[in-house]
Amino acid sequence: MPEKKILTKNCGKIDPGDVSTYEAEGGFKALEKTLRISPEEVIAEVKASGLRGRGGAGFPCGAKWELARKSKGDEKVLICNADEGEVGTFKDRYLLQHDPFSLMEGMAIAGYAIGAGKGYIYLRSEYHYLLEGLQKAIDQSKEKGYLKDLEIEIREGAGAYICGEESALMNSIEGKRGESRFRPPFPPESGLFEKPTIINNVETLVNVPHIIQNGSEWYGAMGTDESKGTKLFCVSGDVARPGVYEMELGCDLKELVMDLAGAKEIKMIQVGGSTGGIIPSDMLSTPLAYETILGSGAVMVFDQTRDVVDFTYRTMEFLNEESCGKCTPCREGTEVMVGVLGRLVNGEGVDGDMEVLEELSDTMKLSALCGLGQTAPVPVLDTLKYFRKDYENRISQSVFLRSLKTVNG
Amino acid sequence: MGDVKLIIDGTEVSGPSGMTILEAANETDINIPTLCHRPDLKPEGNCRICVVEVEGSPRLVASCHTPITEGMVINTCTPKALAARKTVVELLIAGHTGPCVTDECAKDCELHYLAAELEVGPPRFQVKARRSYPMETLSPYVQRDMGRCILCRRCVRACTEIAKKNVFSMAYRGFHSKVVVDCDVPLDKEECRDCGICIDYCPTSALTKPNKGVS
Ligand SMILES: Cc1cc2nc3c(=O)[nH]c(=O)nc-3n(C[C@H](O)[C@H](O)[C@H](O)COP(=O)(O)O)c2cc1C
Ligand code: SF4
Ligand code: FES
Repeated sequence: MPEKKILTKNCGKIDPGDVSTYEAEGGFKALEKTLRISPEEVIAEVKASGLRGRGGAGFPCGAKWELARKSKGDEKVLICNADEGEVGTFKDRYLLQHDPFSLMEGMAIAGYAIGAGKGYIYLRSEYHYLLEGLQKAIDQSKEKGYLKDLEIEIREGAGAYICGEESALMNSIEGKRGESRFRPPFPPESGLFEKPTIINNVETLVNVPHIIQNGSEWYGAMGTDESKGTKLFCVSGDVARPGVYEMELGCDLKELVMDLAGAKEIKMIQVGGSTGGIIPSDMLSTPLAYETILGSGAVMVFDQTRDVVDFTYRTMEFLNEESCGKCTPCREGTEVMVGVLGRLVNGEGVDGDMEVLEELSDTMKLSALCGLGQTAPVPVLDTLKYFRKDYENRISQSVFLRSLKTVNG
Repeated sequence: MGDVKLIIDGTEVSGPSGMTILEAANETDINIPTLCHRPDLKPEGNCRICVVEVEGSPRLVASCHTPITEGMVINTCTPKALAARKTVVELLIAGHTGPCVTDECAKDCELHYLAAELEVGPPRFQVKARRSYPMETLSPYVQRDMGRCILCRRCVRACTEIAKKNVFSMAYRGFHSKVVVDCDVPLDKEECRDCGICIDYCPTSALTKPNKGVS
């Protein structure tokens, strides 16, 4: 399966600083079509298309919009999640940089569908250099009359991974400490400043104009049963040609990393970012889809020279550092895990370390407050499953090293 | 009695919409352990001790903030829920510098009670360095020993919601999160008087009356 350019069709073709070049490629035609039908019809079309969230969780987009549409409240809010904090993910940046107008059109359609008058773009602080271009895109679209009913404001993050999580993101916009909230209530019912709120990833919103323009049937013909459309994959790590690849969902992981990106001697691949699952080299022919493995679309390749326990330790260090600190399982659990993995890496492992990791994982997965703590054990459990020998070796090495110390006094 | 019907541990229960699982359980004398929650404070859901199993939910659900819904089937004492509660207590014990088990004031410690109630055994978990901070003795009203804090944030909410003073807030992230005064200075504030509410709400001996607690 070759690349299939739908979301990225304008990238490199239009001038991201000039709205008329976007119009010349058929831009804002979907918005015009939208305004001729009712919001309910727009939602029905998005629902029928099978579009699911591209931010990581994969929630059906149309169903979410319907909840917000039906929520009581005079003012509704649309937030575009451009925090892109997930490790190894850089697809939203690609879209924002090369085609910001598609996002404007997607947001205008989403705003119309749910009845939002106010929109925010929550921009990752590391993307500060995109702020000017993005503001220009807002201004130009507004001047042309495309954003009559939606006032879009950009808010910058301050560098916290957790602020990409929707409830922490809303706290951040409200000026509060960036930490997760318990749910229910879910944002479509009560979100930003307690108003019904829709939060969508950049890529999700960029899909919307194509669905409206070409119809849900056209869209639904791409992908698998539960994963429709195309997806931007961010391939990085030990590959010859890292970058963003747009593929139809359900495509083959092996083809993406080996044929297109040029990976060799693969040991394992992490799909979906720091909390993503691990695919060992003998399972490379896995289709990339919500049914199997997907997450944010980050595809990080590790070759034979990489050490699995080192990798897991570094990943856990990151998650530990980024835990918001509100709930016990994540705050204390990641700290204990970093300790155990750190000892293993330094040759100080003991029997029972793997069991401690597994027992902790269970509690974190089942009882942490938000997605971070719930999925932080995934790389640990997956590496324990596929590379258990590596852990065992570390422990027996540790035991051996200690025995030398005792012998030598 | 209200209009939402559900089943908790096999017993049919009903309550008004908006009621939490914990409240509904308490009305029928089903006991679910809690730590960060107090009936007169806004729920925050940070400790995760009160988790229960709800049929159809892949994860455990915290009962102190989850509203009841029609037809819910809840089990409060399943092996999964008990294991999670136990682990959470163990983690809290592992992370703080409490005088647990040996010392006098452990007698009044809610964490200590919970550990006994849940039959928490010998420690399985270890952190590299437990949280440890210098004792704060400047204030004549409240003495703070933050190494003993388990981050339930009851003092923060009690001071804000009941005493209406806003003396405390949260700072830092992850394991290093801490209940602080201003930009993390020792407590010695004009607004803080002898109401003692935060001391009453603290489950451990992190907050005590000077000269009365163990120093
Ligand atoms: C720890 C954590 C970090 C997240 N970071 C991001 C992010 O950077 N960008 C994003 O779009 N979604 C992120 N999400 C997912 C959001 O919470 C949310 O599900 C998403 O923005 C919804 O949009 P979608 O339905 O269009 O995917 C994160 C989730 C978690 C738990
Ligand atoms: S899981 Fe981690 S990040 Fe999420 S609320 Fe708990 S401590 Fe915060
Ligand atoms: S008592 Fe419910 S989470 Fe703490």
